[in-house]
Amino acid sequence: MTTAPSSTPVVSPAPARVREVERRPNMENIAWRWMRYSALLLIPLAWGHVLLQDVLVGVHQIDLDYVAMRWASLGWRVYDTLLLAFAFAHGMNGLRQVLDEYLRTPTARRLMSWGLLVVWLVISAIGAIAIIGGVRAAA
Amino acid sequence: MTTLKTALTGYVGYRGREGHWSFLLHRLTGLGTLLFLTIHILDTATVYFFPDLYSHAIALYRTTLLGLGEIGLVFAVIFHGVNGLRIALFDLVFPKSWDIPTHRVSAIWTLAISLVLFIPAAVVMLRNILIHNYGLFGG
Repeated sequence: MTTAPSSTPVVSPAPARVREVERRPNMENIAWRWMRYSALLLIPLAWGHVLLQDVLVGVHQIDLDYVAMRWASLGWRVYDTLLLAFAFAHGMNGLRQVLDEYLRTPTARRLMSWGLLVVWLVISAIGAIAIIGGVRAAA
Repeated sequence: MTTLKTALTGYVGYRGREGHWSFLLHRLTGLGTLLFLTIHILDTATVYFFPDLYSHAIALYRTTLLGLGEIGLVFAVIFHGVNGLRIALFDLVFPKSWDIPTHRVSAIWTLAISLVLFIPAAVVMLRNILIHNYGLFGG
């Protein structure tokens, strides 16, 4: 004959409590969300670009005349501008998040962030000037 | 530097299975794509700044070595995109589903979908290399 020992009362575990707190988002929260929203936009933009240029057209068909023909259409210039803006910003912010993990001191992180910001602005500007300026004739 | 060394040895030794592998692949494909993107913005910008140089850049991209690199890039863009969609989906829509079993299954699905998208693209690109660099398939 077995009976449950009365000395150990059965205690059902309390349900896990999740405390939700409202707080103002800081820069890191905004960057975190932005990476995900820009990802959704980059799926059609980047995949479309890769499918068209790398797979369907192919690098053997691409030359100065091809770029000139493509950029003769305002739509493709807008497309390329969006791609430049979103893909490069997404990538540079990703690099910042990666490097943040390997840098220990706030000074190193600050220097790295500002350095990446400058590189991002300079290269984005170079790309934007080229898209706006368009193809110039080779000598 | 010690931080980086700890991180790199940790990447090799950590046994987190699917979650760990998709983290590593996401990071590698992201950094690789950013490296190419940075070079690509600058080489495309030559059409405006130094139009004579553009054909040299394109000639480099047409080599077999960089052609194979381009195929790797296409895998990187596809995987980073599919895995990024997975991350965005769980983070933004189903944050309570970030449990290990779901994570494992979704990571495997991510790789499978990436390969299904990648293989046809790789075949077309490989064929282009064989046609233009080796005169095969009537090239």
